Amino acid sequence: GPCRVSMSMTEIRSGFTAIKANIQARDPIRTLSILSYPHSLHKVKSSDRCCIAHHLSNFYVDKVFKHCKTEDSYVNRKISSIANSFLSVKRTLAQCHEQNKCMCGQESTEKFKQILANYEGLDVTSAAIKSLGELDILLDWMEKST
Amino acid sequence: IVPFSFSFSGELYCSLPNPRNVHFESINMKNVLHWSAPEGTGDGVLYKVKYSVYGVGKWIRKPECRNINRTWCDLSIETSDYEEQYYASVKAFLDGMCSDWMETTRFNPLTDTKIGPPALSVSSTEKSISIILTAPEKWKGSPEGESMSLLQVYPGLQYNVSVLNKKTKKRWFFSISNNTLVVPWLEPGTAYCVSAQIYVTTPLLHSGFSEEHCIATLKDK
Amino acid sequence: DALLPAPQNISILSTNMKHFLTWSPVIIHGETVRYSVEFQGEYEREYANESWIPICECSLITATVCNITEDVSATVAYKLRVRADVGARRSEWGTLKGFFNRITTSLTPPPMKVIADGYQLLVDLEDMGPAFQFYVLYWKKGQESRMQQKVVEEVRSMVHLDTMEAGPEYCVKAQTYVEVINRSSSFSQTQCVRAQGGTSMWLV
Repeated sequence: GPCRVSMSMTEIRSGFTAIKANIQARDPIRTLSILSYPHSLHKVKSSDRCCIAHHLSNFYVDKVFKHCKTEDSYVNRKISSIANSFLSVKRTLAQCHEQNKCMCGQESTEKFKQILANYEGLDVTSAAIKSLGELDILLDWMEKST
Repeated sequence: IVPFSFSFSGELYCSLPNPRNVHFESINMKNVLHWSAPEGTGDGVLYKVKYSVYGVGKWIRKPECRNINRTWCDLSIETSDYEEQYYASVKAFLDGMCSDWMETTRFNPLTDTKIGPPALSVSSTEKSISIILTAPEKWKGSPEGESMSLLQVYPGLQYNVSVLNKKTKKRWFFSISNNTLVVPWLEPGTAYCVSAQIYVTTPLLHSGFSEEHCIATLKDK
Repeated sequence: DALLPAPQNISILSTNMKHFLTWSPVIIHGETVRYSVEFQGEYEREYANESWIPICECSLITATVCNITEDVSATVAYKLRVRADVGARRSEWGTLKGFFNRITTSLTPPPMKVIADGYQLLVDLEDMGPAFQFYVLYWKKGQESRMQQKVVEEVRSMVHLDTMEAGPEYCVKAQTYVEVINRSSSFSQTQCVRAQGGTSMWLV
């Protein structure tokens, strides 16, 4: 579509794959999902995808990464790499948003509110680590949508 | 001798060693749970299995894998929605004792499955060889079930095709997105060996190379 | 103890998306000086209180070079710094002047070898890493206007370009393209080959 972020996604995916097991092991809560509750991202209408992606890139940059510091230097460096790559994605999607190629409908606004509610339902560190552990849910959905 | 103890709450106090290395093994989204027997336990250990969809509140028992003595359990049907992610867990029993539940890491069928090589059909004329590639199908519950090619699961799926010229011993590589390849202007009466691999760029997945199919171009008339 | 001087002449060497931080050695006679490197991405500056992240492979090293490729892995502006340690003595941080963004990496033309195997036109390319694609242009000598292009994403030896006719020379040149910085190298030297057909009937 008009907002191409493909190659950064590949780098983000590779960075995440390197720490996926480590991060997901830090999330003991099996019964809750930040991104998928109550409905999977895959249920989002295609017209709303760009807006949700735009909101979620901001969500990860503004809220998630800064609360994911660990005692593991390697994991921290990979999180930094992902966070800085997200800045590029955030910028690209912000430009789309400004050029009105990224319309926000009622459904996407509701969906994003639900994600924020899921996030705020946990303490900030647990919510941040859970969100980071769900990055492949976001990537699978964004890659399927491009 | 493994100590036996019983807690007042009436629940067996699980002191049996735990099953080990509980993990999914997945090929073309046939998702089978595997584990190793608890350390130091001989024969006679039985197991039961449960699974859960990540983000959903409950564990679900798998009746076909209740009180089994094998160390695997096919959860392909239960994990067939590849837009979800899953956990599975195993508990061991022996002589009235039990182990703890031992869980897998989070399983994402889309990224954690291994892709099988494509099927090849190769034919030749005097001067060319034609190759038709077929991507594997996603696992399905029964032969009558609806078939789904992995091409539908991974729209960015491509093929790497290797053609070995047996005379010059040179191997050529082609990367193609469609499933047919014709290599023209070959030497008559020459043997060529073809094999192919699938690769997906996002998420990054590669199959192994298929077995080689060798064929000779027809001789000059 | 006199204060340990901070490392000087800190600079970046970046070629084909491989990035190295280098600096001049701090000379303390009779002592072994060790160095430690840290980096700070734009994210750290704008969202994480300007925090710095140590590179453990370059912590207390004696070399005066550090491979920062794995850490400078986004197309944003990075700051880098290095300090010296001798025993219990530690220098101030020496910081790279300005920023480093991988978009400035220098891209060299790809090594390439063109081969004719019978009537098959092949090119042998070198794997330069996951960030690289190759644009390979090929044409019949004298027909530059009818140039064809093949994009090679995954490098294997002997990539098949096309099938040649008997007689004319075929020429090939290649450049790299790095999508994450949206830049290309200059083209490699052109190489030309001719089909090596046997003299069978249908060639006449």
